[in-house]
Amino acid sequence: MAGSALLLSDDSTLSKIDQSLNKVEAFLALLSGLAVFVLMLLAVFSVSGRNFFNQPLPGYVDWIEQAMPLIAFMGIAYVQRNGGHIRMDMVVGALRGRPLYLVEIITTLAILILMILLVWGTWAHFLRSFDFSAIMWSRDSSMDIALPIWPAKLLAPVAFFTLCLRLVLQIWAYGRAFIRNDETPIAVPLIADAAAQAAEEAGHVSGHDT
Amino acid sequence: VEWNVSVWGKRRAFTEHVEKLAELVKEKSGGDFTLNISYGGLSKNRENLDGISIGAFEMAQFCAGYHRDKNPSITVLELPFLGVSSLEQEIELSMAVYNHPAVKDDLSRWNATLLMPSPLPQYNIVGIGDAPKSLEEFKGLTVRATGGIGAAMKTIGAVPTSMSATEVRQAMDSGVVKAVSFAPHAHMSFGTIENAKWWTTNLNPGTVNCPVVVNTDALDSLSDKNREALLGSVDESLAHYVDYYNNKTMKAWGPALEERGIEKITFTDDQIASFKEAAAAPAAKAWIEDNTANGLPAQELYDLVTGMIAAKK
Amino acid sequence: MEPIEIGLIVSAGMLVLVILGMRVAFAAGLAGLVGLVWIFWAKRGYDSEQFVWALTVAVKTAGQVPHSKVSSQALSLIPTFILIGYLAYYAGLTKALFEAAKRWLAWVPGGLAVSTVFATAGFAAVSGASVATSAVFARIAIPEMLAIGYDKRFAAGVVAAGGTLASLIPPSAILVIYAIIVEQDVGKLLLAGFIPGVFSAIIYAMLIIGMAMTIKGFGPPVSGFTWRERFASLPPALPIVIVVFTIIFFVYNPFGGDAFGTPTEGGAIGAFVVFVMAVWHGMRWSELKDSLMETAKLTVMIFTIIWGVLIYVRFLGFAQLPDAFSNWITSLTVSPMLILVCILLAYAVLGMFMDAIGMLLLTLPVVYPAVMALNGGELVSAADSTFGMSGPMCAIWFGILVVKMAEFCLITPPIGLNCFVVAGVRDDLTVQDVFRGVTPFFLADAATIALLVAFPAIVLWLPSQA
Ligand code: NA
Ligand code: NA
Repeated sequence: MAGSALLLSDDSTLSKIDQSLNKVEAFLALLSGLAVFVLMLLAVFSVSGRNFFNQPLPGYVDWIEQAMPLIAFMGIAYVQRNGGHIRMDMVVGALRGRPLYLVEIITTLAILILMILLVWGTWAHFLRSFDFSAIMWSRDSSMDIALPIWPAKLLAPVAFFTLCLRLVLQIWAYGRAFIRNDETPIAVPLIADAAAQAAEEAGHVSGHDT
Repeated sequence: VEWNVSVWGKRRAFTEHVEKLAELVKEKSGGDFTLNISYGGLSKNRENLDGISIGAFEMAQFCAGYHRDKNPSITVLELPFLGVSSLEQEIELSMAVYNHPAVKDDLSRWNATLLMPSPLPQYNIVGIGDAPKSLEEFKGLTVRATGGIGAAMKTIGAVPTSMSATEVRQAMDSGVVKAVSFAPHAHMSFGTIENAKWWTTNLNPGTVNCPVVVNTDALDSLSDKNREALLGSVDESLAHYVDYYNNKTMKAWGPALEERGIEKITFTDDQIASFKEAAAAPAAKAWIEDNTANGLPAQELYDLVTGMIAAKK
Repeated sequence: MEPIEIGLIVSAGMLVLVILGMRVAFAAGLAGLVGLVWIFWAKRGYDSEQFVWALTVAVKTAGQVPHSKVSSQALSLIPTFILIGYLAYYAGLTKALFEAAKRWLAWVPGGLAVSTVFATAGFAAVSGASVATSAVFARIAIPEMLAIGYDKRFAAGVVAAGGTLASLIPPSAILVIYAIIVEQDVGKLLLAGFIPGVFSAIIYAMLIIGMAMTIKGFGPPVSGFTWRERFASLPPALPIVIVVFTIIFFVYNPFGGDAFGTPTEGGAIGAFVVFVMAVWHGMRWSELKDSLMETAKLTVMIFTIIWGVLIYVRFLGFAQLPDAFSNWITSLTVSPMLILVCILLAYAVLGMFMDAIGMLLLTLPVVYPAVMALNGGELVSAADSTFGMSGPMCAIWFGILVVKMAEFCLITPPIGLNCFVVAGVRDDLTVQDVFRGVTPFFLADAATIALLVAFPAIVLWLPSQA
């Protein structure tokens, strides 16, 4: 499948946590996909209503704006697990062993710092739209049909939190590989050449997880 | 002292008072206090209040109808068919509402102090496709109309479909909306008249209220001289705005329509009266109920506005 | 320190992180966040007691961006355009197209590669996303090319390059994004992409034929299809015409009335039509789930770049970099055409390190006003303009040029998304292999861009008829 990377697994605690976490992440990614499907159906409704029954779907734009964060955020940790967020692999592609793990730890840690701060920032954004004492707890609503916006805003810190968990796990995995000086680390996406090599050695059996 | 000011779109009649304010403040403070106006670089227009509350910038413009739950108190000025007849009157009403304690309280949640309105004339509708010649023909028409105007359009069967002003041209070109309600300057600056076929001359369903606010902490931390330079320039800025709107924008409006061969649709007095009857009272009633439930002295605010308008007549 | 200096230093820092291999979306986001902290702290005179204030304001400012930028009706077309690509694969449309192209065109030198190019061009008329197009054709076209002896790297290169056609030939997510950023007529821009897209395909085909005739051991032509077989290949490919017409009516009504809706809706309706075909063709839940997961992965990746880059753009706004750049460009005294060429070259360099959408989001707020000013402003008439075209036409022309550059960056190393995707689909190919195979197509793209610059009519003829 496109963009799926090779991840190795074993019977360590780390690998077990990786696989449990992956179940949650894959579920959230499927939610993203299903939201795209719903978006498609929504357009069919709206367009046929408007063109055939002269009855446009009220709040069509409002609903789309509510669905977009679901589509855009929920799969973020799943994509990180599989190495799907793009990067330049010139430097990391040339490194092996400890220097590679060190660079990976640094860049993953940098992402973790960013995402922790963004959990804070997006949570604050959510809080400004949320008020227990208001009708529907809403302090910010959509333009046409006044849907409360706080649920959509809440999706960002939730998704970013799952990404933080994944990043912590990856730092742990790289750290472990660094200390043990592993040839092939587990629970992290292998970069292209290493992946091809590992796949060859393993004869495409173990751990090719999609 | 340098303040960042977040507005959106391009420089246009709607932002002339902010531009004038920047000019006056710089002059009066002897260059010590400057306003740095950014057109969209600092925030999305629907998030300008958030930016003020965070303290990311010190001054911003926004429209109440973009997010009624963020600023319920000032949406009273967006109720349909209030019967406001001039920009001067719009300023007077806005200032009275802005100075009401409940309104100050409402905006203080955002650490915001209301500085001045951006008065707009009555909105009218520009559209593509067949022009509605009677109110019945509005049924099923998708129209970009926010706040109270949107509520009014709903009463005659139109379907309000909103997006920020900057996205309206796209929505219209591509058929998401068939009609757009705007003030004339916005119809010109956001390009809605470029492909339009018709324009309603006298529907006059109301207007939107778009205040300029400042961050309260930033205002409090100004030196007396700078605060005086700012607050003392509001009236002159507004006077410049009104002059610009009446003498530049409105003069260009008629020719702009003619140049593009846009058909003018005028409704009879009876039609307007029945529209008003269907829309005005129910919208006001609903507004008062909802906002009373949310803890605002809604009836008092409504009476303040309608009372001032009645006194003028 | 001046905000502009902060802007430059932070930008350099971002580049270092990207080169180190930090995922681009997050490197941009982190650079933006650090930049915001710096700007706000500078405003309080680097007072150590004010650092927490600066950090808080910066974090909260950045924290607005993901939700605020992503919840846009206009951007909703990205996921649906991607979904079309994957559903069409399961509807058998990709295979039918490739089969038809093969039977009609594979007799020329380099025939199977030429067929692949035209099949991707045909598919481009229903797919709005280059990456999705490359992903599905990698599964169909590469095995067949390998079977008759093509070099595997070149085969991969053809698919990676062919995929880029999807963003010129309408519908196109990236053209719509351009239209949104610069606030121009989406319909006309989409129309304008059609001829340059077909033109690019023809140049790719000419390049392949030229290579086949000069290089020994290149894939052989495939001949021997009877006319009966050729015509028999057309009906299975016909459903694609239905989808094409569906989408066209949403972009532009050829009968002169209003379009049926937005391109965004057209993408969704097109996806629905393909979905029905796929179900008809026997798609099961597991396959639908698979398409939805693939769509989600690509969509999430793209949106992460979008909000990451936009945090950085928000910082640039506070650093006042866009104004400074625009003023600088318009103050230059060299010829406007030379400036335009330099801008395009800068896109080629930047495109190496960025993905297409991120690059447009990052640069257009700065570059577009400068280019419009060079031509004489938004409202200039063709007669008074620098490039001999009115303001709106210049916006369309520049849009097609920029999108072609953005497509170019999808196949250039080190970050060329199409190549990553092709390598991801095929276990036997590394990213380096695909980059090597796609290199000849740089020449074709350079030729295409030069011709589009020299003869703007190629771009502007169709939209000026509308
Ligand atoms: Na396309
Ligand atoms: Na590239």
